[in-house]
Amino acid sequence: MDELEKLYQTTYTAVVRFLYRKVWDADRAEDLAQEVFMRLFQHRPEKPRAWVFAVAANLARDEARAAIRRRKHLTLMTNDPGQAPSRMSMPADEEVEHDEQMTAVQGALDALTPRDREVLLLWDGGLSYPEIAAQTGLAVGAVGTTLARARKRLVDAYDRQHQTRDHAAHS
Amino acid sequence: MRHIPEDELHAYLDQALSRSQCVEIESHLAGCTQCQDHRDGIAALRDRTTALLSTLAPPRRFTPAVEVLQERAAARSARRATRWRAAAWAASVVAALGLGWAGNAVNERVPSGAEAELAAAGDAGAGDAAAGDAAPGAQNVAIKAADSLAGRDLAATVDLADAGSPRPEPPARRPAPAAPAAESRTQRVEPVGTVLSSGQLLAANLDAATGTVFRTVSWASAERERGASVPRIAGLPVMEVQVGTSGQSGGKPLVVVAQQLESGQVIRTIEGPATDVNKLLASRHSESGSPWPAIDDSAGGIAGGDGAMTYRRGDRILAITAPLPSDSLRAMIRRLNVTER
Repeated sequence: MDELEKLYQTTYTAVVRFLYRKVWDADRAEDLAQEVFMRLFQHRPEKPRAWVFAVAANLARDEARAAIRRRKHLTLMTNDPGQAPSRMSMPADEEVEHDEQMTAVQGALDALTPRDREVLLLWDGGLSYPEIAAQTGLAVGAVGTTLARARKRLVDAYDRQHQTRDHAAHS
Repeated sequence: MRHIPEDELHAYLDQALSRSQCVEIESHLAGCTQCQDHRDGIAALRDRTTALLSTLAPPRRFTPAVEVLQERAAARSARRATRWRAAAWAASVVAALGLGWAGNAVNERVPSGAEAELAAAGDAGAGDAAAGDAAPGAQNVAIKAADSLAGRDLAATVDLADAGSPRPEPPARRPAPAAPAAESRTQRVEPVGTVLSSGQLLAANLDAATGTVFRTVSWASAERERGASVPRIAGLPVMEVQVGTSGQSGGKPLVVVAQQLESGQVIRTIEGPATDVNKLLASRHSESGSPWPAIDDSAGGIAGGDGAMTYRRGDRILAITAPLPSDSLRAMIRRLNVTER
């Protein structure tokens, strides 16, 4: 098997997850991941793993911009901002709990600075310190400091949200 | 003695330090309970972060076949090359016309400010520049236009909403496997509509080698045409069904079912008249880099090796091809042979 194919087999899921945490839509994340790997097979870059995550980050950024444009457009069209998509069916209790936890973690992640969040997600995607440094423009020595801060803030923000929720539930 | 700073402990646990740095940290840790506690705290924090992030994962799906994406990438490169040439040509025509017009204007010695600028930008020279002299300039412009097209893609910021971008097309027709489990798992493969091109590739090979005409059909019509069940591996999503008719041999036509394994690799089940199947396998084998081995099935029964396995039943052959070792294929074909009967 060729090196890129191996990379594809080992990192596809990580890339989908990385994208999902940026676009929050499983189908979109999957489409974008497929786009990333198609470009990988076209360009065959020198440092493919870092390249894949760099392109994924770019696509997610473009996607976010496009989403904002779409929202503006929709608002103009319907004059009905912020309408939540309706659920087809109510999920089971377990799913509700999972959804709640997901929302809490998502909120905690949103509370980080963009740089802290990026470094944390890249690390979780499987990039090494030098690869993270190359992509974010940080010095390699600063990656550890950033990760240390990001981890602490994520857990703190998550715990704070939980406390607030428990308070609300008890009162 | 200085204690180990927090970020260094993170880097240490993330295995991002050199061997000598690790040795230094470990020798300090061995004699410092304060740093040991610190390390344990950070290890717990790391684990917690990973656990929290793991809840932020989309539903687990399987990875599409690598061949599918590679084929789509190749198809796109081909399309882009065509568009590219067209764009370069168009740019050169526009530039040549523009510069020619500007050159004429200069020749007629009625240069307005804008025209003079255009002529200068095109490197057409001042004063008596004739339209012919403007040609090298036009080429430069054309090359620049082509470069900027290529650059757009390298920057990886092409808007996916672009008409030219390959959003997954809807599939032409959808095979309808009977098992509900297979049904639900086909969902993600579906958008990868260009799966069909792998079949077309197969069909093209076959046309040359065997004169067989291949068509991609729905599951129902494949069964109708054969007047019998279509062999497939139970529980795997079906990507494509092809029926081939050679016109030479009567009876049930040859059928090729492409299915996808959890790993994303493609497995093909082939059933048909012995001569047709053998020709198909041989034509695939003769391609360079093909994983299908040559098969001598003259003895009958099960034959093959890694990559392909056949089972001869009278004048018909049942074959499986997949990037799998021979023993897995042998087990599959045995089971398939039993269920087929």
